[in-house]
Amino acid sequence: MKALTANRLVDGEVVFWDGGRWVERFADAKLYDDAAEAEAAEAHGKNQPKAVVDAYLIDLVESEGLWAPLSYRERIRALGPTNLNHGKQTEGGAAIAALKHAHGAARSTGRVDLIRRK
Amino acid sequence: MYRYDTLDREILADRSAEFREQVGRRLAGDLTEDQFKPLRLMNGLYLQLHAYMLRVAIPYGSLNSTQLRKLAWLSKTYDKGYGHFTTRQNLQLHWIKLADTPDILDHLASVDMHAIQTSGNCIRNVTADPYAGATAEEIDDPRIWAEAMRQWSTLHPEFSFLPRKFKIAITAAPKDRTAAKVHDIGLAVKRARDGAMGFEVMVGGGMGRTPYVGSTIREFLPANRLFSYLEAILRVYNRHGRRDNIYKARIKILVAALGAEEFARQVEAEWDKVGTDADLPDLEIARIRGAFAGGAFETLPPRSEAFEAAKASQLAFARFVRNNVKPHKKPGYAIVEISLKGIGETPGDATAEQMDVVADLAERFGQDDIRVTHEQNLVLPHIRLDDLPAVHAALAAVGLGTPNIGLVSDIIACPGLDYCALANARAISVAQHIAERFADADRAENVGELKVKISGCINACGHHHVGHIGILGVDKKGEEYYQLTLGGSGAEDAAVGQALGPALPYERVAEAVDTLVEVYLRERKDGERFLDTFRRTGVAPFKEAVYADVH
Amino acid sequence: MPTYIKRADGKLAVAEDAFTAVADDQDIAPGDVIVSLTRFEAEGDRLLAEGRQVGVRVESSEDVEALAYDLPRIAVVALAFPKFRDGRAYTSAALLRERYGYKGEVRAVGDVLREQAGFMVRTGFDAFEPADGATVEDLERAIHRYRHVYQRSADRRAPAFAEREV
Ligand code: SF4
Repeated sequence: MKALTANRLVDGEVVFWDGGRWVERFADAKLYDDAAEAEAAEAHGKNQPKAVVDAYLIDLVESEGLWAPLSYRERIRALGPTNLNHGKQTEGGAAIAALKHAHGAARSTGRVDLIRRK
Repeated sequence: MYRYDTLDREILADRSAEFREQVGRRLAGDLTEDQFKPLRLMNGLYLQLHAYMLRVAIPYGSLNSTQLRKLAWLSKTYDKGYGHFTTRQNLQLHWIKLADTPDILDHLASVDMHAIQTSGNCIRNVTADPYAGATAEEIDDPRIWAEAMRQWSTLHPEFSFLPRKFKIAITAAPKDRTAAKVHDIGLAVKRARDGAMGFEVMVGGGMGRTPYVGSTIREFLPANRLFSYLEAILRVYNRHGRRDNIYKARIKILVAALGAEEFARQVEAEWDKVGTDADLPDLEIARIRGAFAGGAFETLPPRSEAFEAAKASQLAFARFVRNNVKPHKKPGYAIVEISLKGIGETPGDATAEQMDVVADLAERFGQDDIRVTHEQNLVLPHIRLDDLPAVHAALAAVGLGTPNIGLVSDIIACPGLDYCALANARAISVAQHIAERFADADRAENVGELKVKISGCINACGHHHVGHIGILGVDKKGEEYYQLTLGGSGAEDAAVGQALGPALPYERVAEAVDTLVEVYLRERKDGERFLDTFRRTGVAPFKEAVYADVH
Repeated sequence: MPTYIKRADGKLAVAEDAFTAVADDQDIAPGDVIVSLTRFEAEGDRLLAEGRQVGVRVESSEDVEALAYDLPRIAVVALAFPKFRDGRAYTSAALLRERYGYKGEVRAVGDVLREQAGFMVRTGFDAFEPADGATVEDLERAIHRYRHVYQRSADRRAPAFAEREV
């Protein structure tokens, strides 16, 4: 499973593609099962230079019956920094909890490619 | 302190206008991100994980209260109400909107501040001794030279597209608080036997992937020849520094490849040709010197009864004095370090409220003078002993009374994976865990001077190579691991740390630091710092203890 | 005839480019030419003897010192920016003007962007082949962006410290 993410040009906010527009919550992101469909979305994302910067696909992993970004870096993007509770995580709720608890799952998978992205 | 005149102000205004245009062109779609990125980077604007980050320059780490209040106000108005002081004596705002940046720069310019050359392959903010003008140790006030270098390096037509970024530090005291030996150029003010002033010039220090301690290429450079000599160094570097590989582009690689002697020979040959035309006229140096002269010091007795009484009656104050208060050149005064390393807090962060309080104290008690240290703390350089109890109380009331300067919990940490797009691993929370282990102030004091420095990746913004204990975040198959090094120093006894052993997982780092400290306490001889013990025993006992249970 | 932007008497204007840039693997064109440093070293004397004007293209990795003795005979030195980030040509220009007193044209070629124009003029460039479509107005704006400068440079503009003395 994959999702498409980027930073919004005007304010740098972490955003996700919901299939029609850029949204701020990971929980609202469209999830792509199909690789070709995901790549088409990525190409579309890269083609919006006035809206976002650097659109790319992220791998997801299951957590508490929901999906969460696989890599630690992407979970921090979806949640906010871990030292202060003042990012997207302030929203709280099950979707945020699932992201927070995805910790263990991602650590055992050993995928590194997303971390390398800038 | 140096006050900007009309010329300085008009340069800032013009820079601000230029950036406003560039942002406008980007938002209108006239510039692609690829075209815009180098332009925003030249103004210290990065795109990080959660938002844009603006790095505000604090030239040679020196601020007045109006400026600090403005930073506080900006952080409240355009950010989340705090700022992060860095190892470059700058301030980073981590939650900035691109569309706001032109206005932010105008606000900065209104108090003679800017973000010029806080990024890019140019000459960056010059680091200077945060005790300048206050310590009796110094030969001259390094801010004079730092301000002259600030002007000379600003929008330098020849040296704004160097192979890589370029950092200069200047110190005028034997105790180096600038990490001069791990800068591209480190300048140490010296006096010749005949009393003439000059500089020892060290070149090619640096951290990052291949750390080096700088080499002295000139024992004594007459002070009035500084700028021609800098031009010669920068020119040799601009022409011959590597441009094919960013990891080999810093001047340290060129100096290492040529050898310090050959590098020095090339610089001297170029310097001969440059001649004195490139030097700054004495009149201009005198003008800048005048701006830093004096200070409104009263004639005070060396002993303050109010201070002595508070020390005798208040344990917390006495502890603060032991660790955070340093001798001043004038009787009856002291230098006060304000720790931004509260236990469990983010190293280097200050809230808007805290900044306002420091600004008020500087204005009321401290000659309107505030400094930022490269160890991510603040300094009030001129406080009367009589006023120290009041200053301490005001600081403590807003969580700024932590008495841990130079101790194990006074940790340098870069923003790491919590904010930085280049990071491999977190640095802040590692620092928090370590500090919490040493929350007992008696224990921390018993351990004594111990510099722990943490970077979230090999770029080494957290100076891990020169930590007595250095901690580097690495990425092992997608997990956060940490490489520990021991025995580094960024001070006058500079050295690059030595690897302890295989990288440790996140959960084990704080415990490992604890173990290292225990080994030190067991091994140390009278008066030895952690660093001294390590230098005497070598890595073996430390390694053995940390990896004992691994087998 | 192709055009470029030329600065004369402190003003920029679009000018016709009389010079043909000749790559090393091309035959020498008729008329005025700009050739590589290598080619100039091999063929410069002959080309000059033919009565034409000759310019030399110097790559950022090459030393302008190689031209020191030929400069009086050379009409144009074209300094190449392989990428705008490669700042070696600024040093080359400064050396040509200040150390060798070169009076001919110093032309910026390659990845030449308006953002660099101010630095270029300061180090002694007086001709531009913009790669970003910048117009005379764009470059003028960039060049006159700053009311003051802090350093001495090849353009002999009075630095802030000299302005302050007055
Ligand atoms: S050391 Fe690495 S992770 Fe830390 S701030 Fe620098 S670039 Fe970012």
